[in-house]
Amino acid sequence: MHDVLHQLGLGFLHLATIPNATALLVGLVVGMLVAVLPGLTLVMGVVLALPFTYGMGVTSSIVLLTAMYLSGTYGGAFTSILFRIPGEPLDVPLLWDGYPMARQGEPARALGWTLLAALFGGLITAVSAVALAVPFAKFALRFDAPEYFAIVLFGLTGVVSLAGGSLTKAVVSLCIGLLLATVGVDETYGTDRYTFGIPILKDGIEYLTVMVGAYGLGEVLTRMEQGFTTPAMEGSREVKTRFPAWREITALKGTIARSSFIGVLCGIVPGAGATVGSFVAYGAEAQYGKRRHLLGTGIPEGIVAPQLASTATVGGHMVPLLALGIPGSGATAVILGAFLLHGVQPGPQIFQTSGDMVYTIFASMFAAVFGMCLLGYFAIRPLIWVLRLPEAVTSAFVALFCFVGAYSARNSLTDLWMIVIFGVVGYLFERYRFPIAPMVLGCILGPVAETQFMTSMIAYQNDPAIFFTRPISGVVMAFTILALAYPLVRYVRVALRARRDPGAIGTLGQEAKP
Amino acid sequence: MPSAKAKAIAPYAALLAGAAYLYHDAGSFASAGKAGQLGPDFWPRAILVLLMIVCAIEIGRHAFFARAASATDGIEAPSGDESPRFPRLLAAGMLITALYVPGMDYLGFFLATVAYLAAFMAVGRYRRWGVVATTSVLGSLAFVYVFMKVVYVSLPLGVGPFRDVSTALMSVLGIH
Repeated sequence: MHDVLHQLGLGFLHLATIPNATALLVGLVVGMLVAVLPGLTLVMGVVLALPFTYGMGVTSSIVLLTAMYLSGTYGGAFTSILFRIPGEPLDVPLLWDGYPMARQGEPARALGWTLLAALFGGLITAVSAVALAVPFAKFALRFDAPEYFAIVLFGLTGVVSLAGGSLTKAVVSLCIGLLLATVGVDETYGTDRYTFGIPILKDGIEYLTVMVGAYGLGEVLTRMEQGFTTPAMEGSREVKTRFPAWREITALKGTIARSSFIGVLCGIVPGAGATVGSFVAYGAEAQYGKRRHLLGTGIPEGIVAPQLASTATVGGHMVPLLALGIPGSGATAVILGAFLLHGVQPGPQIFQTSGDMVYTIFASMFAAVFGMCLLGYFAIRPLIWVLRLPEAVTSAFVALFCFVGAYSARNSLTDLWMIVIFGVVGYLFERYRFPIAPMVLGCILGPVAETQFMTSMIAYQNDPAIFFTRPISGVVMAFTILALAYPLVRYVRVALRARRDPGAIGTLGQEAKP
Repeated sequence: MPSAKAKAIAPYAALLAGAAYLYHDAGSFASAGKAGQLGPDFWPRAILVLLMIVCAIEIGRHAFFARAASATDGIEAPSGDESPRFPRLLAAGMLITALYVPGMDYLGFFLATVAYLAAFMAVGRYRRWGVVATTSVLGSLAFVYVFMKVVYVSLPLGVGPFRDVSTALMSVLGIH
């Protein structure tokens, strides 16, 4: 404990250097801008920031992206509460009570509750990341290839089963990502796979082009097909924040405790993340809250629960990312990409080899929490000015960021063609409602999964039972099976209900929504 | 409705055909491994088998259990289709985006980007031409400055006279 606090103190000292402090500030501002703009998702924003990190040190890069991630979970609250436009899917539950409270003439109070929830959620997430990461990493030191394969598989199935929507579409998306990762020279045998005689494909498909193309350009094309119809927002001059009284805060201690637990848990479980955390926390409030019958009418519980939980997921996500090298969400997949681009492989050894960097990242999370709250309180008015920009203009620059970002990685025009191809793939995914996150994670984790699988098979004489007979990998495989069974059970239940009650078909979709 | 059924089946049929081709192609991977060891084709083939199974299930589900499929699809498709669509805008957007790549190689980053940004905004139905021109030129200049001067990325300069324009611009911006 003493050692952890000492390292954290050193982390704060490292954070105080100009590159790291600048990265933190820029990350907070850009993260909030991204969250405010309805056309830009949080993951897309983190992806677009990635090329700017090429020339930066690895610590500054991760500080920048983590700050963006954290402040991105808060910035979208403003447009949700004031204009009824959720900047992110995770901001949707905020609408249900935040907007009615604003409509009742108390927008400043609604924003005050949001700020407070973000502050609590942020502090809880930072503390949980510091407290859980080292024990997680120590435990992970016992892992061998079968355990790593089991954990990667669990991460991938978690993303598939908890991503929401159709299981089969998520599996298709994951398979495409895993296949893309097999293109190029095979790591075990050095054999060309799916290169079709094209030299550039020998190096494989850069996951950066998959991420940037599918998330960034795909979204731009989707919005272009919709005719860029989001109206420019006026009325940003009225934004003010008013804090609730202390006794009002203590009255919500049950909500705060529940949502904190849900947030951290949803962060650690791969695939859950901020959006799931936000919906689950609101759902828990609707089930167990003291004033659950008033939810939806504009009460603070309906604002605090989703905001606190979504911010609290960030630290939870950082734990498996740093300790195991496994990202549990789109944003942490990009952060993993930034680590790899700088030649750093997260995993249990990282606490020994790059302890300074890890604790600087943790320190930056604490600083980011206060920074984003200060920004939210004092600087949100100029920040939401971007809402007045026409969508066609912002989208043109988003597309440009995608191209320049992908080009910067290898200075290759082929990568630009890849961006166009994956932009179209991303658009088709959106159009046919295939989730993009499993493809991106499959692309990043595919090589790890294959290497650990092949190593296990070579070491244990092609015996697949090894994944089930070793204690740790066996437990993880059991969780994997449960993660896969959950959506299957849900699917069968809905199909059976549809057969029993054909008239309910139209309402089933709504019923299944959190 | 047969057309709705065909629409639902089409992406899975295309994926199934593609997966079958790739499965066959995996047989040509040369392996230097020992006999009895899994070869380089094992992993991609395992993924392709999973993909083909999922596609076959979806095709069967949509072909023979359309009602249940639409019920469960209700979960996965909460909203979105109601908004109006502009396929011509999309086609124009895709075209200018695809042209931007060879354009960058030929015209150089600056000129191609000015043209791309302006064309994109125009295709996106933004009609304040002064803003279009100003943001295109200033935005492109900002990108050239930040990426070439600050991030040290070697952006394409173009060919012939366009290369001269890029070089002149770089010297004006103090990029060497």
